[in-house]
Amino acid sequence: MIVVWGALDDPPVSHVLNTLRTRGAEVLHLDRARVGALDFDVTLDREATGWIALDGKRIPLDTISAMYLRPEAQQGGRATSTTACLLAIASILDAVVVNRPAAGRSNLTKPFQLAAISDAGLTVPPTLVTTDPAAARQFVDRHGRVVYKSISGIRSIVATLDATDADRLSGVSTGPVQLQRWIEGIDVRVHVVGTQWFATAIECAATDYRYAGSADDKMAIIATDIDRELGDRLVRLAASMGLLVAGIDLRLTPDDEWFCFEVNPSPGFTFYEDATGQQIAAAVCDLLMNAGASERRTQRNLDSAPRSLIDS
Amino acid sequence: MIVIIGSRHDSVARSIIAALPAAALCSAEDLTRPGWVWSVGSPEPNRWVVDGKVVDDPQVTGVLVRRTYVYPEELVGTHPDDREYLAAESTAFLIFVLSRTGSRVVNPVSDGALGEDVIRPERWMAAAVDLGVDVAPLRLKATGPIRAPKMTTTAEVVGDETFGDAPPHLRAAAAQLAAALGVVYAAFVFDRKQRLVALSANRLPSDAALAALGSLLSIRSRA
Repeated sequence: MIVVWGALDDPPVSHVLNTLRTRGAEVLHLDRARVGALDFDVTLDREATGWIALDGKRIPLDTISAMYLRPEAQQGGRATSTTACLLAIASILDAVVVNRPAAGRSNLTKPFQLAAISDAGLTVPPTLVTTDPAAARQFVDRHGRVVYKSISGIRSIVATLDATDADRLSGVSTGPVQLQRWIEGIDVRVHVVGTQWFATAIECAATDYRYAGSADDKMAIIATDIDRELGDRLVRLAASMGLLVAGIDLRLTPDDEWFCFEVNPSPGFTFYEDATGQQIAAAVCDLLMNAGASERRTQRNLDSAPRSLIDS
Repeated sequence: MIVIIGSRHDSVARSIIAALPAAALCSAEDLTRPGWVWSVGSPEPNRWVVDGKVVDDPQVTGVLVRRTYVYPEELVGTHPDDREYLAAESTAFLIFVLSRTGSRVVNPVSDGALGEDVIRPERWMAAAVDLGVDVAPLRLKATGPIRAPKMTTTAEVVGDETFGDAPPHLRAAAAQLAAALGVVYAAFVFDRKQRLVALSANRLPSDAALAALGSLLSIRSRA
């Protein structure tokens, strides 16, 4: 049994679900309504044992071989305890879980994750988090053009600042702001799936291609390749965070230097798959259907926590 | 300086500050005051804001963490429409700061988690079982009450010291588990069958544990 937890109108969830069903896999789909109706009796110690039940059908936990998680924001009430139980199961069940709830937790604090990426040996842009307007101005003066973006997992539109925006920097005094040197170059999203990777180049004039809107921001999304050494490093980076699947944001400068910005633990890969034909959902399903004990062990040796992480 | 990360409405934090002369509170309000400077790959010296004052990181010897999140309701000086966003940003910022400071942090950030999330059950249960420590299983049911186990003894761990009324072998097991988890301070609660029931770093430390914490936090080095 493979549990897929997420909304049907969320493209990665529907892609994974359809692919698994086409292949004849036994699947339990949970969305917000079904989570609210779920019954369970679970005991946690080293393992999670017991059962969950839907529509009167009990599913022993030891029959669940894999889980794919992109849970929706939950409503209160009974769904809260059910969600907590499902996340606890996903944290410790002896199964392949894409991804364990705690594995991508670093994405909830971007500078923390950036430091981890840097510690892993990848180049990251100089970054300042501050509430000090003078420090912010010095940082902008030093780098000429900077971007500012959210610190937490709350999605923000990345925007740029330069020295002409000095007056606006007094606004940083009311709460921490993350500033990052602007890196010129081509965006490359690399989806790591187990030990495979899929690289997609995005050419776009907009500062944040995810929000490219005007005609001037015309975007080209092209399947590309990266050299094996970089690919292997990205696989190791994802594994070091306990992630079986990750969407890693990079930029290649005109000087052929790679900068790494972020590791997304729940990537919306269909945006790239639909544009390029890269078979990312199929690779995720391969992992869910065929991953062996080594993947499970790797994940179980990492810490876990009940927290969902969504790249919506 | 010892920094206590907490709320000014946290009576335990206030008690600890009263007992430790070098301690000062870093509140949610401080996180939204001017003066913070922290960086990755950039030369700026790191700076805190503690009790309204800007403090260079090298002046901070130790940090005691008494919160897991910054809550929107704490940010009374912020427009209500912005509080939820700013609370998430402040929590994320705090985790970053605690992972970068050169001071000793009790308890250190673990996989991006803070406070009680560092010692959540599914983490300590697995580690305890791996070490051979008996654990009271946690049963989760959709319906019906969850019966709280009867707790009988407690072992407080502070670094490599232990306190509390638990027998020596349970105190030793608690110290071993704390080391495995990278936890510097926590209270370990055992039931009458001597099974581990709960871990918490949120309760008021005993006088002996607080004195040990004060000593530990006065020395600037990572745990």
